Amino acid sequence: MKFRIREEQAVAGITALFESYGYKNFKSGCFEEYSLYRENEKFLVGKNVITFTDLTGRLMAIRPDVTLSLIRRTDIAVGATEKYFYNERVYRRAAGGRDFREILQTGAEVVGVIDSLCEAELAELICKSLQIISPSYAVDISHVGFTEGLLSEFGSDGEEVKNYLRRKDVHDFLKLAENKKFKIEAIDAFIAAVNSDGDAEKTLELARRNILNKSMENAVDELEKLVRRLTCAGFGDKISINFSMANDADYYSGLVFGGYIDGVPQCVLSGGRYDNLLHKFGKEGGAIGFAVYLGELERYFAASDCIVDRLIIYDDGSEDEALKCAEIAQRGGKSVRLCRSGQQSALRAVEITDLSSGG
Amino acid sequence: MINIALPKGRLGEKVYKMLASVGYGCDEYSEDSRKLVFKDSKGEVSYFWVKPADVSVYVELGAADIGVVGKDILNEYDPDVYELLDLGLGKCKMCVAAKDDWQDDMSVPLRVATKFTHTAEKYFAQKGREIETIKLNGSIELGPVLGISDVIVDIVETGSTLKENNLRVFECISEISARLIANKSAYKFRNAEIKKVVEKLSEVTKR
Repeated sequence: MKFRIREEQAVAGITALFESYGYKNFKSGCFEEYSLYRENEKFLVGKNVITFTDLTGRLMAIRPDVTLSLIRRTDIAVGATEKYFYNERVYRRAAGGRDFREILQTGAEVVGVIDSLCEAELAELICKSLQIISPSYAVDISHVGFTEGLLSEFGSDGEEVKNYLRRKDVHDFLKLAENKKFKIEAIDAFIAAVNSDGDAEKTLELARRNILNKSMENAVDELEKLVRRLTCAGFGDKISINFSMANDADYYSGLVFGGYIDGVPQCVLSGGRYDNLLHKFGKEGGAIGFAVYLGELERYFAASDCIVDRLIIYDDGSEDEALKCAEIAQRGGKSVRLCRSGQQSALRAVEITDLSSGG
Repeated sequence: MINIALPKGRLGEKVYKMLASVGYGCDEYSEDSRKLVFKDSKGEVSYFWVKPADVSVYVELGAADIGVVGKDILNEYDPDVYELLDLGLGKCKMCVAAKDDWQDDMSVPLRVATKFTHTAEKYFAQKGREIETIKLNGSIELGPVLGISDVIVDIVETGSTLKENNLRVFECISEISARLIANKSAYKFRNAEIKKVVEKLSEVTKR
C-alpha cells in the first residue's frame, strides 16, 4: 500500500531532526512593523503583505516570512555562530495562488561565522528534511558566484542571458549570441551550465572545464567540496548541480538550494547563503538557511492514503487478543485503529492485522 | 508514463504528428475524435488536448510533464517552466501595427489595444513610452479602425488581415514559434524520459 506521511508527522520529524543537530527553536511574533518588509522587499518570497494599523497608529504587517524577523532579532557575538530552527505560520500568497493564505513553514538558519563544514551540515539537513517527507526527493544545488561570474561574461546582456539560463532556453540564447557576437568560450560555458543536471560530480567536472573567471573558479571549488561531503554522507544520488537556479544575486551570496518531492509540481524547499541581508542590518558574519514550504505540500499530505500505521480487525472471538496486540504496537510508537470485522472498508492503514475468524 | 499537453487545433495536430514520427504515436488517436485524453498501448505516453493558452498552466501545475505552447503565451504569462526546444512550427511575429498613416503623438499616452497586455506593457516600458492599455479578446484590428486605440500589439502571420483593414506593421516585438516546455519537478524525476523526447524531436527539427 502506498504510504504518505502526514503534515504533523513531517513537522515533528523535521523538528526532532533540527534538535538532534543542536539547533535552537526560534519563535517570532505574528506582527512586525510594515517598514521591515517594505525596506527589505527583495528579501521576501512575494511582495504582497497583509497590513493593518495598530492601536498607536503604526502601520503593521502580519508576517509573510520568518527569516527577516530572525535576522533582525538575532545578536551574534563576534566570532560566534548561532543555529536556529522554526515552525511558524506565515501569511502570503501561495505559489500560483491569487489570494492570501496561511502557510505552515519550517526552516533552519545559521548566523555568524559560517565555514564549509557548517554549509555541508545545512545541506545534509536539507536532504534529511526532505527524506522525512518522502524517500523520493531531489536537491538542486547552485552557486551565485558561478552564475553571476558566467553572466558577467555577457556584459550588458547579462540580465537577458540570465532569463535564458533560468528557462534552460538554449535556442533563443544562440540567436542572441549570434547577433551580439558573444565569445565562443562564453557560449560553451552557457550551454554547459544549462545542461547541468544529473550526476553532480560529472557536472562539476564539466563546469571546471568551462571556468572563465575567478568567481566561477571559487564557486566550483566550494561546490566540489560540498558535493564530496554530501556524497560521503550517502546523499550522492539525491543531489544535482543545477545552474538554472540563477537566483537573485541581491539576496543570495553563495550556495543556493532547491528541493523537490516526486508528485509535487513546485519546488518545496529553497535556501542558500544570504550574507547580504545580515550586512543590511549592520551585522557582521554570514548567514545560511532554508525553508520547507509545507503549504506547497498541502495537497500531497491531503492525498495521504493512510490514516493509521496499523489496522487491527477483530471479531467476537478475538476482542482480547486485539486489545493486547494494539497495546504492543502502541508501545512501539505506532498508531493503531481497532476495527470490527466487516466495518473496515472505509479505513486505510500501512499494515493490516486480521484477527477475525475469517482472517 | 510521460504526460504531454497539446494545444487544440492545427498546431497541436502538427506537433502530435511530429511526436508520432519519432515513436510516440497512439493507436487511440484520430483527427476526427473528440476525445480529450488518449494514451499509447505501451503505456509510455499520455496526451491531452487543452486550449493553447492553457498549456503552460497545465505544465506549471504538473498535470502535464511537458507541453507545447507558443512563445507569445510564454512571453505574456512567464510561467515557471523550462523551455527546452524551439519546434520551429507556428512561426509568426508579435508586432505593433497601426493605420497606414499613423504618426505617434508623444505629447499624450499611446493607446494600445491588445490581448497581450503584459507583453505590450513590458515592450513600451523598455522604450520609455507611456501607454494606456486596452484589453481586447478578439478582432484587435478594430481598435485603430474604430478609434479606440492608436496602435495594436498582436500576432502577425501573413499580414493579410492587417492589410484588409488598412493597417500595417510598424515595429516587430519578437519572433514567435511553438516551444516544448517542461515542468521543473517532472524534469527532475522523469529526466531521462523527457530528455529522450527532446533528443528525438531535436533530430526532426534540425532536418
